[in-house]
Amino acid sequence: MSTAPPQIATGHGADVQRPSAAHTLVREVPRFALLAALLVTIGVFGALRPDSFLTIENLKSILTQAAPLMVVAVGLTVVLTMQLLDLSFAAAIGLCGALAIVLMSQHGVGWELAVLIALAAGAACGLMNGILVSYFGGNALIITLATGTIFTGVEFAVTNQQTIIGGVPLKYGEIATHQTLFGLTNQVYIAAIVAVLGWLFLAQTEFGRYMHAIGGNQEAARLSGIRTRELKVLGFIIVGLGAAVAGILLTSAASSSTPQVGAPYLLPAYAAVFLGSAVFRLGQFNMPGTVIGVLFLGVIQTGLTMLNLDTDVIYIVQGSILVSAVLLSRIGSGSTA
Amino acid sequence: MSAEEGATAAPAGRPVLAVRGLRKRYPGVVAVDDVSLEVAPGEIIGLLGKNGAGKSTLIKMISGAEVPDGGEIEVAGAPVHIGNPRDATALGISVVHQELADVPGLSVAENVELGLGYPTLAGTLVNWRKLRASAKEALGKIGAEIDPAAPIASLSVAEQRLVMIARSLSSYVRILILDEPSASLTEPEVERLLSVVRTLSDQGVAVIYVTHRLAEVFAISDRVVVMRDSRLVGTRPTAELDRSTLIEMITGPALAHQAPVTHQRGRAGGREEKKEMLRVAGLERHGVVEDVSFAVGAGEVVGLAGLVGSGRTEVCRLIFGADKRHGGKIFVEGREVRIRSPRDALRNGIVLLPEDRRHQGAIGEFTIRENVTLATLDQNRSVAVLPHPSRRKERRVAGRYVEQLAIRGSGIEHPVRLLSGGNQQKVVLAKWLEHGAKIFLFDEPTLGVDVEGKQDAYESMDRLASEGSAVLFISSEFSELLTVCDRILVLVEGRLVAELANEGLTERDIINTCYESQVSHV
Repeated sequence: MSTAPPQIATGHGADVQRPSAAHTLVREVPRFALLAALLVTIGVFGALRPDSFLTIENLKSILTQAAPLMVVAVGLTVVLTMQLLDLSFAAAIGLCGALAIVLMSQHGVGWELAVLIALAAGAACGLMNGILVSYFGGNALIITLATGTIFTGVEFAVTNQQTIIGGVPLKYGEIATHQTLFGLTNQVYIAAIVAVLGWLFLAQTEFGRYMHAIGGNQEAARLSGIRTRELKVLGFIIVGLGAAVAGILLTSAASSSTPQVGAPYLLPAYAAVFLGSAVFRLGQFNMPGTVIGVLFLGVIQTGLTMLNLDTDVIYIVQGSILVSAVLLSRIGSGSTA
Repeated sequence: MSAEEGATAAPAGRPVLAVRGLRKRYPGVVAVDDVSLEVAPGEIIGLLGKNGAGKSTLIKMISGAEVPDGGEIEVAGAPVHIGNPRDATALGISVVHQELADVPGLSVAENVELGLGYPTLAGTLVNWRKLRASAKEALGKIGAEIDPAAPIASLSVAEQRLVMIARSLSSYVRILILDEPSASLTEPEVERLLSVVRTLSDQGVAVIYVTHRLAEVFAISDRVVVMRDSRLVGTRPTAELDRSTLIEMITGPALAHQAPVTHQRGRAGGREEKKEMLRVAGLERHGVVEDVSFAVGAGEVVGLAGLVGSGRTEVCRLIFGADKRHGGKIFVEGREVRIRSPRDALRNGIVLLPEDRRHQGAIGEFTIRENVTLATLDQNRSVAVLPHPSRRKERRVAGRYVEQLAIRGSGIEHPVRLLSGGNQQKVVLAKWLEHGAKIFLFDEPTLGVDVEGKQDAYESMDRLASEGSAVLFISSEFSELLTVCDRILVLVEGRLVAELANEGLTERDIINTCYESQVSHV
């Protein structure tokens, strides 16, 4: 749904206002404002650090760092499309990643099985959220805040809050770090595949259409015979799976597990998706937008780090970017709230 | 307090409220046309009229929710401009709306004093004792013995309404407007409400009492004001009126009828041979729909008439599985069917075109194409086994309906949100036609639709029936039921009270039935 299909004239134009040129300009410019901002940002960093920023090595590094964020942001886009929230995925990242490491390191489980169990755990987290929100009518914000705490608790129970190093098969480490084509690591390709799958799902399948309908008008969707409850559960499961994949990538890259490895991803994931809603389809969450949003954050993060700015500045800049993104997407959608 | 002041400020006989030549038009309709009215202090006016007669708009203009297009309003002899609700409050005009506007999480006292600024301790903390005391006083003034500390959610609807009245009186009030105050109240509760209104009137507050219930009008009002077709058609002292005269004032003279829209079905007659398509028996939803049973045959258009709040919409929602049913059975073509969700209804060929198109009928952000194919997406796949909608097939389907139903827009990729009400209605109909159905529930399909759109809706229903479908048609405009329907069912307060064959039937017959079947309160 990223590109508008061609319009078909039907010959009835009676009660339609044709947009004026000025109106079109106001509507169309913001659609590409984020893309322009991305290019400008790259230009600025490139000018400030010409030797290090505009290099192939740096591009590879940005893409590699962005991979786990990409995976969770894609899942998050799916629930946000239905006007739902999930605040538990960061905790689910930590739980799933730690679970895989503990299974391999302390219980001698093979890496393939550990990956499957981690994925299943992510899906189970999502299923739990989905059932609580969709069937028991819980408020998604509060429910996922609460379940996130539970997931972290389970992670601590599994790891005793310890960093776990050693006993992790080499093969597991290679999931994220093995270099395949063009010198890029596996996780870049995994993130790309996830993003493409997410786009196909949301923009090209019946499920995606129904989820957009739920986000647009849940009651009208229900009265059209759409299975709104089941689809909401499915959405949460997708976020859970995204969290599991991100957890696997993070612990694979480190070949170890540290407590609450997903915590730093909560805000950037929302930032990326909301930034994305300010491109292509204004005011609407969309997968290509999310991809741009993730890359934008990656560029900013790397750039600011290269400028030797402190973490506090990086935080302030990231927060400001999120606020700007939200406001930008509202302007575009013509909302007044 | 203030109520007495209001009474003394205006000498007896001098109107506390006077409106002259008040006028309001909305796009395409005149809602209130040249209405003049005077209300004396302490007077109780019963304001009556059919659905859509213009009562609500009149009240809105007096209370500042709408600004008149013409005419004057005087309060206590002085011309005033009421631009917003705050202006009205400052002038001592207060409205208690039909919908309860309380804050559920707060206590009774907090609700009564809401918006006044609570009494404080040391300028910051709420002085709870004082707050409760003043709320208790406000409640006492209307004779309501309600604990000010109780959470508002623990009260009955009647008690909540009394709290709302107490709130409306907590500031300076000389004109109190009650909009359908007795809706969903039981008989003893109504009596209590009326005695409160009498107390206020004794204190000099002018009351405008809007209702459909004639018994209450006779029990309480000094004067009756009737509106019809946006105009004020009669003002009479209640003592001079009897029930049938009043009904006649509400109904008006028999109207010249529109030509019936039955060309596709052929003229009435032979209806008995029609095969039964839909039958409901003992339909029940607590407090809203009680023991409703009827049948609709193939090829029939059956009207569902009733005043606002009579349960028409609710009956349709129960049949469609949109709300939970507390009792009753539904039969399709003589076979009992299990309907517990809209999906179940769709599976049995029942579709609903909801009253509130904007919130229930269509997805505003979706295009015409996406709305039309929403219920049939799996039949428009590129490859049968993949759940991938083919835009090409979707466009073909949507294009066909745009043509067939003459949906106006700049094309099938036009967002439905930007279409007119009539065209949105057609988009919803197109969705169901494509899905396929044999039982169509039309809930107020002509609400807010222009004349041409209305005619289109009649033709659609007529065509569906002629093709063998069963159509249930809800409308507040009884004349259009007479135009299209074979039979008309009348609902009063959630009960089916009459089934009228549309032969020589007039609008007045339907309205009489609505009013005369009311359970006599008071």
